[in-house]
Amino acid sequence: MQAREEILGRLKSVRKTTPAARPAKPVLPEIDLDKEQLLQRFTAELNAQAGAVYQAKDKEDAIRILSEIASAEGIKSVLATSGDIYGVDIRAFGSRNNISVSTVRDFSDRKALRESAFTVDAGITSADFAVAETGTLGLVFHKDQPRLISIAPPVHIAIAPVDKLFAVYEDVIEQVFKNTDKIPSQFCFITGPSSTADIKGVHFKGMHGPGKIFVIFSF
Amino acid sequence: MLSRVDRFKEMAHEQMKNERSQTFLSLFSLGFSMLRQHALSSFPDPVAAASYSRSIRAEVLERMPELLEEFEKKAVSRGVKVIWARDAAEANNAILDIARQKGVERVTKGKSMLTEEIGLNEHLIDNGVDVYETDLGEVITQQLGLPPFHLVGPAVNVPPEEISDIFLKNGILKEPTADPVTLGKAARMFLREKFRNLEMGIVGVNMAVAETGSFINVENEGNIRMNKSSPKTLVAVMSLEKVVPTMADAIHMTRMLIRNCTGQKMTSYVSFDTGPKKADELDGPEEIYMVILDNGRSEIYKDFKVRGVLKCIRCGACLNTCPVFAKVGGYPYGFAYTGPMGQAVDPLLWGIENTTDLYRASTLCGACKEICPAGVDHPSLFLEYRSREILKKNAKGNRTSLSRLENTMATISSFGMSHGWMWNFGVRCAKRVLNFLSRDGYIRDIPGGVQGWFSCRDLPALPDKTFHERWKDLPSEPVSSADIAKKEVI
Repeated sequence: MQAREEILGRLKSVRKTTPAARPAKPVLPEIDLDKEQLLQRFTAELNAQAGAVYQAKDKEDAIRILSEIASAEGIKSVLATSGDIYGVDIRAFGSRNNISVSTVRDFSDRKALRESAFTVDAGITSADFAVAETGTLGLVFHKDQPRLISIAPPVHIAIAPVDKLFAVYEDVIEQVFKNTDKIPSQFCFITGPSSTADIKGVHFKGMHGPGKIFVIFSF
Repeated sequence: MLSRVDRFKEMAHEQMKNERSQTFLSLFSLGFSMLRQHALSSFPDPVAAASYSRSIRAEVLERMPELLEEFEKKAVSRGVKVIWARDAAEANNAILDIARQKGVERVTKGKSMLTEEIGLNEHLIDNGVDVYETDLGEVITQQLGLPPFHLVGPAVNVPPEEISDIFLKNGILKEPTADPVTLGKAARMFLREKFRNLEMGIVGVNMAVAETGSFINVENEGNIRMNKSSPKTLVAVMSLEKVVPTMADAIHMTRMLIRNCTGQKMTSYVSFDTGPKKADELDGPEEIYMVILDNGRSEIYKDFKVRGVLKCIRCGACLNTCPVFAKVGGYPYGFAYTGPMGQAVDPLLWGIENTTDLYRASTLCGACKEICPAGVDHPSLFLEYRSREILKKNAKGNRTSLSRLENTMATISSFGMSHGWMWNFGVRCAKRVLNFLSRDGYIRDIPGGVQGWFSCRDLPALPDKTFHERWKDLPSEPVSSADIAKKEVI
């Protein structure tokens, strides 16, 4: 405790001045976009980061899109946050494509879940929010949405309801942090695949996290 | 890390002769500037966006103690264990104690300049705890034992062949390669095994939000998210100035940080942690230790002329715009902090008398100040350090023969400048002597002094008449513009 008192004591010993009034908050032009434009902007921004965006017409269409991705990426095993993500039957997708599906409910301890996350071909999660500004997903982590599923597997597929697509980060942050009793232990913005340019400035995807990301907007 | 802040000149000369460094630096500065401007153009008024972020940082400075207390209170209420550390030793020992208490023999780290500042890696390794850096650039500098070349891309200048050699030697790579992607993927596979069995992770902090007790990490690679998801124990290390008032402020600062740091609009991941995992969650840390480190900052805070340095958010934009950095790169600065931000911070961390070349290695052009999204006034800091150093050196009882000479010259000049007749007399004498030495209208050297000055420039010979003399000779009647035009023709 002594260090705390000493440090804060020194900081507080300084003559206090009133902070100058702040200038006007910068305008964010994205807030004027309508629903259609939001989706266009989201898609363009995520495409620029090498992420793919789909719009599913119905449950069947979502399974068809998942199957297409799985066959293109050679996916044989997935770890999903649940068997039913916004009405999309992940187990049906698995059995039709001969893909082994595990869901969070299959695991009771963290070690087993971690092993699964590090060995499956793809993680399928829900996305609680999407932000058009930069083609960004917002994921709230909790017991049904562990963190590793969206970071450890080499492919990340996220299913998001289209009515959770907002213009700017502020729209989402306000909802996540507004109710102090319900602030999640972790919240994360995800924009495109994991990437780096640390050697000679050469960009590539899939440094530590997923090398590919697919977003399916549900009906 | 070991500080070599006293070798600027020597290292700078070396780097300027290094062809590879020179080619790289010339391309790098240009590329970054284009990316940054493009990213900032998402704001209708980028200047207004920068004024707003500067006003947030100015407010953080004014309200620092109350914001830290609020952050601590909120973080503790969420179950975070807050540890205050006065200096590097206290922080290092606290983190070592946590590792020992948990029986951990190996930790991984997210990129953190602050842990470089305090030499955390060395301390843990010396005491039997293995440390694996996980940011690709940091992995390379750690294995090669190199200082960081750049704040954001610490190994961005290292040729792939050198990386291939060290990766082969350390068993990360099986076949030699010069392909950056193959090298990166090899590091991925190597570190995946570490993440998979990880018991304790250490990360830095980009922002700590007083309003909610959350801390924020901004990254592209995903190594920080691995560190914050996989192990049971998480240690985060922040310095006092990382705190921001509200979540809304944090979001604006994140936009500005990313645009100024890598020239992106958004990084792959921005993660917000508010307390450890809930009891029913299957991953995430069971315990979070937040080390709040002072390391001299509360003393800097009391010093109004220099405390503006605490506004810095470590984005690195000043490095990329600095004409000196563009010539010498990061090595000459000799420490984790390079470029203008290093020149601004290091003298306060290592002592103004030990870093004399650092704050003199500036043209005072002000490009750093102009680009800074946090409102740091680097040139004023450099001038303040210069003046403090000279005042100390020239204080009575401290004088060397050079400082005595400087003092004498300054006394003579100040006497001359405050007496008109003396000044005019001095100018007439100086003119005679200097023009006697001139050849073809230029003075190229003066025997017996100031050789350094003439080593790279000439002085034009002094004109026959001073400004005052010419003024006196002007006709007292106003000259019509027609006459001026005629004169110019003649």
